[in-house]
Amino acid sequence: MKPLSTWGSSRNPVKFRIPTSDNLLPIRLDIEIDGQRFRDAFTWNPSDPDSEVVVFAKRTVKDLKLPPAFVTQIAQSIQSQLTEFRSYEGQDMYTGERVVPIKLDLRVNHTLIKDQFLWDLNNFESDPEEFARTFCKDMGIEDPEVGPAIAIAIREQLYEIAVQSVASAKESRMIKKGRKGFEHIPISKAGGIAVDLVKSFGNKSSVIRKRKEWDVFEPIVDLLSNEEVDALEATEERNAR
Amino acid sequence: MAMEASNVKPPVSAIEEAHLDLYTIPSYSSWFQWGNIHEIERISLREFFDGSSITRTPRIYKEYRDFIICKYREEPSGRLTFTELRKSLVGDVSTLHKVFTFLEKWGIINFSGTVSAEPAEVQQRHKKEVRVEEGAPYGVRVVAAPNSLKPVAPLPPPVDVGGGGGGELAENGSKFPPLASYSDIYGELLQQQQQGKEGKELVLCGSCKQQCDSGHYEHTKDEFLLLCKKCFGNGDYGSKSAHDFKYVDDTNQVVWTEAETLLLLESVLKHGDDWELVAQNVKTKSKLDCISKLLQLPFGDLMLGSALRKTKVWDRNAGQAVPAHSVQDTVTGDDQQHEHKNQGQQNANVEDPGPPHKRLCTVPNLDASSSLMKQVGRLSSVVGPPVTACAADAAVAELCYENRCSREIFDDDNFGDELGYSARTDEEERVLPVENSEGEKGPTVSGASEHRGNELQEQTFRKNVVPLTLRMRAATATSLGAAAAHAKLLAAQEEREIEHLLASVIETQLKKLQRKAKYLENLEMIMEKQQDQFGEFEEDIVAERMKVLQEIISAGIPRWKDHTSMKSLTGNVL
Repeated sequence: MKPLSTWGSSRNPVKFRIPTSDNLLPIRLDIEIDGQRFRDAFTWNPSDPDSEVVVFAKRTVKDLKLPPAFVTQIAQSIQSQLTEFRSYEGQDMYTGERVVPIKLDLRVNHTLIKDQFLWDLNNFESDPEEFARTFCKDMGIEDPEVGPAIAIAIREQLYEIAVQSVASAKESRMIKKGRKGFEHIPISKAGGIAVDLVKSFGNKSSVIRKRKEWDVFEPIVDLLSNEEVDALEATEERNAR
Repeated sequence: MAMEASNVKPPVSAIEEAHLDLYTIPSYSSWFQWGNIHEIERISLREFFDGSSITRTPRIYKEYRDFIICKYREEPSGRLTFTELRKSLVGDVSTLHKVFTFLEKWGIINFSGTVSAEPAEVQQRHKKEVRVEEGAPYGVRVVAAPNSLKPVAPLPPPVDVGGGGGGELAENGSKFPPLASYSDIYGELLQQQQQGKEGKELVLCGSCKQQCDSGHYEHTKDEFLLLCKKCFGNGDYGSKSAHDFKYVDDTNQVVWTEAETLLLLESVLKHGDDWELVAQNVKTKSKLDCISKLLQLPFGDLMLGSALRKTKVWDRNAGQAVPAHSVQDTVTGDDQQHEHKNQGQQNANVEDPGPPHKRLCTVPNLDASSSLMKQVGRLSSVVGPPVTACAADAAVAELCYENRCSREIFDDDNFGDELGYSARTDEEERVLPVENSEGEKGPTVSGASEHRGNELQEQTFRKNVVPLTLRMRAATATSLGAAAAHAKLLAAQEEREIEHLLASVIETQLKKLQRKAKYLENLEMIMEKQQDQFGEFEEDIVAERMKVLQEIISAGIPRWKDHTSMKSLTGNVL
């Protein structure tokens, strides 16, 4: 029973990284200056030199014709998120055997998406972009901004879980002595968000879901009209304040 | 790539045995079995079989696989999408996707779906904005051979753009759309011609599906994406942006009445490729309009094209007709018409209706500088041999007919004995090449005759141009005949050579086989000998063993711990 090198196991924790095939960091910007709001989300390659951050910020401001005050703010925001990522980078990530549920609940322009599915944290060859592409193709979504938004949402959740597992790795290393049955550790450590692997994948159960559960896991894609979009945006802004 | 479909039956109980559904999967997936996991699956989806995770075991894989296939077979005519599927399965979506793509790649699922597996954007765009047409697109004719109207079945998808319209993919997995008939391809065109009687091209808007009247917007990257002015104004252009569209104005579309079309056809028949004259005849339309209208007509370019092909009479032996060409050069006819006539006859392009100066030298790539015969040779190589043969036949027939006239004219003409004499000699020599069994003589004879004709022509140049022309025709007929004879001889020779070569090839093959057989026989003999040898060895060894045992026994060794066979032997011996 030799684990493949791409899958981390409890015995050899992996260095921290986003558990996808390409180590891209999701970055979210939400900056408001003088009543003008700029929101954006994209992926950043942390191996790019930091000088690129300012270049990128300048170009964004120029392309979108934002007031120049945004440049520093954007650069700062990106930089701080990068630094945070880097602070985790040297540490070990304890992933064990983890299949986590990922939930999508996002609105991109006119498209509203609600979905949930399982994602294997150990699969370092996973590709959120490919998943997003398949999703858009199968659901017939034409708005080209939806795909990347989905991918970024997935990445953010994976990032968050990865961060949590770094913290838990630290703790578990201290507690781990003499403990066997590594499958049970993630459940206790990660706050129960992981799927109970033994229950779901063990020999006694079927990996085919019961029919009544199919609706829960079915993606919902709604196309909104302009008024609905405005209403939703207003609610979001109200919530943000 | 043509795929033979093989049938795989799902497991059914005895009760349902009477009604078995046949599902087709490609023949390269015939390794697939319901009860087993094949080596291919083990290799492609390694992660299930190496025990790397409790979430991936062979049992789990088999469950996924069987479920996916069953789900697909609930609706075999549609394409099972991954998203539809994953809600029913517990597991990492990336892994599930891998299994799904594996099955799809091998055609075990989604094989006979009607929706082609194109990238989403292309498919989406085409679904929305393209009129699905049967058969070849408008204005394009798919033919099996030049000059024939029989269409060829287009290649099977997935390159097919119009998708489902291209043909119903039957349940039995046939991927070829039905052969389009004339009415299929031209049905739309005829329909349009009936509808828009002026022959105006019907432009349908991509989003509102109505006819665009005065002008429409065309997407720069995709000509099929058309929007009428109304829709464009509404901003209803799907996922494209406004500045991708350019305006195409239809207001100055040419309108062709039936009378004009008739005039056009007549003048084309009369003047052939001379568009100046054609445009003059059809007074209301410019040259370009005439040409484009002619192309639009279903048989229009047929007329143009076939005429071009018919001009190619000289077969591969273009060289034989060089003397004729040189003759033609010396004729400095002041009337361009006549020179054209000559050239026309050099090309031997005759069609039954119309005077011989039709189909002037507007042959493509016709370069005044290069030799006429070279061009003829080049063009004849483009056309297939049967066409050339037909054209040659027609030309010969026509020229022979004209030659009879020329003979009469020569005889009647009071030119003097020189001409008459030369005419007669021409005739004799004309006959000679045709009857001549050796092709080489023919061209030289005809060359000589033409030389003589040349001198005479120079002398009597101004007197009468008409007989000159006919002499030209006579000369060309002669060379034609010579060339034809030569060609026949060459063909016969080729055939003989082919036969000879074939025979030698077969002989060689037979020899090879014989040698092989002999070799194998030798091998067999050797093997038999070896076998005999081994048999002898075996016997020797057994004998030796027996001897040894006897000696041992006689030496009185009491205990004998060996296999039972030896025991029995000793028993026997004792």
